[in-house]
Amino acid sequence: MKDTIITVKRKKIEVITLVACFIIACIVNIYAIAKFNTSWSEIFTSLGYVLIFSVALYIAWSIIRLAYYLIKNTFTKKKR
Amino acid sequence: MKTRREFLKISGSAGLLLATVPWFSAFSDSKNTMGEKARIGVIGPGSRGQFLMSFLMKNPKVEIVAICDNYQPSINEALKMAPDAKVYQDYRKLLEDKDVDGVVIAVPLNIHHEIAIAAFEAGKHVFCEKAMAMTPADCLHMYDTHKRTGKVFFVGQQRLFCDRYIEAMQMVHSGTFGEIEGIRTYWFRNGDWRRPVPNPELERKINWRLYKEYSRGLMTELACHQLQIGTWALKTIPNKIMGHGAITYWKDGREVYDNVSAIYIFDNGVKMTFESIISNKFYGLEEQILGNKGTIELEKGKYFYETVPPAPGFLQLINDVEHKLFDAIPFAGTSWAPETANENTGDYITGKRPKTDGTSVLLEAYAEAVITGKQPEQIAEEGYYASVLCLLGHQAIEEGVIPDFPDEYKLDYLNHKRATQTVSI
Repeated sequence: MKDTIITVKRKKIEVITLVACFIIACIVNIYAIAKFNTSWSEIFTSLGYVLIFSVALYIAWSIIRLAYYLIKNTFTKKKR
Repeated sequence: MKTRREFLKISGSAGLLLATVPWFSAFSDSKNTMGEKARIGVIGPGSRGQFLMSFLMKNPKVEIVAICDNYQPSINEALKMAPDAKVYQDYRKLLEDKDVDGVVIAVPLNIHHEIAIAAFEAGKHVFCEKAMAMTPADCLHMYDTHKRTGKVFFVGQQRLFCDRYIEAMQMVHSGTFGEIEGIRTYWFRNGDWRRPVPNPELERKINWRLYKEYSRGLMTELACHQLQIGTWALKTIPNKIMGHGAITYWKDGREVYDNVSAIYIFDNGVKMTFESIISNKFYGLEEQILGNKGTIELEKGKYFYETVPPAPGFLQLINDVEHKLFDAIPFAGTSWAPETANENTGDYITGKRPKTDGTSVLLEAYAEAVITGKQPEQIAEEGYYASVLCLLGHQAIEEGVIPDFPDEYKLDYLNHKRATQTVSI
């Protein structure tokens, strides 16, 4: 097993990604409140659902990125 | 045990509390009665009598000074609870005892009237287990004798003193559930309602509930508690009664019905139903008050509004997406979105699961009334009407008639006016 290094750039990307997911989840929540005509207080009271949805989005996006890098890596090795 | 102080916390003020439960005036002198004792004689310390004694013994304002029974095993058990009590075989002797201020009558129904009248005439205060008597005429005689002698009179309607019933009635009377459109009550059990008999000769003495000579069966033993809920909720007395009864399962020599239904119709057309079957217990017992804005289930201690707040928009959106994605797929299993979020689970009336039925507070109130000698408001009338209604239900069942509430049994109470003041005393 070898040491791995998480660069500052990588940390920034991940934090920005997570924040982006949270913002998207907030927008979805606002859309849902408007669509189903429920109380605007749900912007705050549904924060739990929003956080869970943010993490789910982040995980889904991470899986897509992982798959992308794996495929990209495979082709790069073949070319070598 | 819930104290009057705790009830006041629930209700906010004594005035509000007394508007719903005027009989709580029994506690109005409770501070002044500290250190005093109600000297009680228990007539009929059988199973129910001992149950009542268990509460009386815990009350520092009560001293059980005498017990009376003609069944020695009951006396033996009662003496374990109150070893210093004097023992009588004849209730008349107990009533002659100057040390007895008030009596608790927990004997078979057919002798309630005789003993209660004798107790009033002997100058004793009376707590009589429900139902009051075997006939409406006897109930009226008991009520009138109580009024004439001025002695305290309680009937064992413990729900009148139960916290969740009181809070529920406050909600009903304040219009929380809108207009009350119906009251449904039922009491289902699965058992023969028999008690073990050591000697066949004692069958009727021990299992008196099963024989018409001593009891009116399910109507007087069970309906009596539940019918009173309707008059309390609606503040009115139903004036038309219909019903049917039969022995459908326990064909074991009993004489009272094991399967009864009765309908009580109020003047505005609202109906109250009572149903009891003792060969199926799935639904248990319940009193349901149905308003156009909500429902109360008093035994469970819960209420439910008709309109349930919708689930959060976020969950509705997830449900929506899920249905669009998966509804067309035949192998789709259980929903992964929390669709049950807007299920009407109701709320507890007191904020928690019910534990008591009011018996302890009822007996505390009786003890206070015995000490002060003051009759709490409306408690005798509530007991009277609960008993007469169940007896009229019995009449409807027994005779196959649809009786109107007879004028001769009306009191000056709620929507009733007493026809004449001629009484059979």
